[in-house]
Parts: sequence; structure tokens; C-alpha cells
Amino acid sequence: MGIGIDIVEVQRIEQLAEKHESFLARVYTEAEISYCSKKKNRHQHFAARFAAKESVLKALGVGWARDVKWTDIEVVNDALGKPRINAYGEVRRLMEEKNIREILVSLSHTAHYAVASAELVKG
Amino acid sequence: MDENTIFEKVKASVVDALGVDEEEVKPNSALFDDLGAESLDLLDIVFRLEKEFGIKIPRGGIQASALSAEGENLKDEDLVVDGVLTPLGIKKLKESMPEVDPARITDGFRADDIPTLFTVQTFVSIVKKLLEEKGKA
Repeated sequence: MGIGIDIVEVQRIEQLAEKHESFLARVYTEAEISYCSKKKNRHQHFAARFAAKESVLKALGVGWARDVKWTDIEVVNDALGKPRINAYGEVRRLMEEKNIREILVSLSHTAHYAVASAELVKG
Repeated sequence: MDENTIFEKVKASVVDALGVDEEEVKPNSALFDDLGAESLDLLDIVFRLEKEFGIKIPRGGIQASALSAEGENLKDEDLVVDGVLTPLGIKKLKESMPEVDPARITDGFRADDIPTLFTVQTFVSIVKKLLEEKGKA
């Protein structure tokens, strides 16, 4: 079992995206960028996804010890709009090691803050 | 590039990213506790340093060598169990972050808390290491 939660200021994400050209490509997958870019409040969606990635890392409990890439954790939305986590690379490997079948995630955001929580589901 | 030049550039990035006074930024200043950084600030500093020095700092590689079991015939559980560093993990973290007061890395230290150890010198060391590797390539 493992849970994780994270909160992010939307404005900070907006500043990072504006200041650093490489920020979006480094942190988000192409699908995430494409999804958020279509939204009216794109930075809220980017912020919620950032919080989701952090909450997954907290739930996994490996934080900064392993060479995880932000893009190893991808938030996708199913047909009903429910967010789901796709894991790649080091995160995929960690899930296999820890016998985690699925990572559940929940997102919420306002104009100022985005939060996410993640829960590991054992196989 | 000598270490002092690297320090001055790292200092400038930290000052810009955190909005702190230059005088506050010493090699042993802890980013979180002394300079008031939060996790997104680390990312801001990382991107500034990447641009300034033309390097790429991997997420898990800010400490001079990531706490990795790879290539040492170790399993990850040998280093981190349920998010907590094992005695071997603590030993290796102390080795990989010689700039940090070892007394700060105590029993039960969590892998998630590694960023709280980062000092200005941590960034100087990783930049120096990456510049050296770039020079060899």
C-alpha cells in the first residue's frame, strides 16, 4: 500500500513554462502537452498533472533516490474524462518490482492551486 | 572552469530563482531551510543552470551520484525499503553528498527528503561533474 499527495501553485507552473523553453518537453509527454494545450485554462491542467507526478513519486516512496524522469509518469484521461496513470521506464520497473498493478490518481484544481493524490494498487 | 567561477554562476542562478540576497548564498546554505526554496524552485534552478552551462541535469542526479543500485550488484531494497533508507543507503548517500553534514542524515531518513539536504555546493558539485563529463565526451 502507498498513497501520496501534492499541491502546486498554478502560477509557478505558468512561470516555469514561460521562462524555460525546455520545461514542458522535459516534464510532460506529448499526449499531456497536446491535451492541456487544448484547454482554456491550460496551466491549471499542467499544474494538476505536475502534482499528479509528484504524488505518484511520493506514493512509490523513492522520491529522488532513483533516476526517474517526469515523463515516466503520464496522466491520461479515459473516455469519461477520468484520469489514469500510464507508467514508463524506471517507474514501470518499480511497479513490477513492488508488484503494483495500477496507480489510481485523483486531480482537482482552481485558478490558483492544483492538487493530486495517488494510490498504489497491489497486483 | 574552476570551482569558484562555477560557484559564482550557481549563486547568480539561485539569487534570480529565489529572490534572495547575494550575501545570503554561501556554499553551505541549504536551499530549503536556509534560503526558503520549495520543490518547484529546485526545478527553476536546474533549468537556469542547464541553460547557463549547457548541461543536462537528470531529475534523480542532483546529488553527485544518484543513489542507485545499478552496476554494484545491489538490489534497490538494499538501499531503500518502504521509502526509508537502509543503513547501507545512508552510508552511500553520505558518500555521494560529502558537502552535507553527515549528522543530518539520520536513521529512518526518507528518500523523499533527499532534496532537503541540497546545498548550494550540491549544485556546484553536480555542475562541475557534468562539465567534466562533457569535456571528456
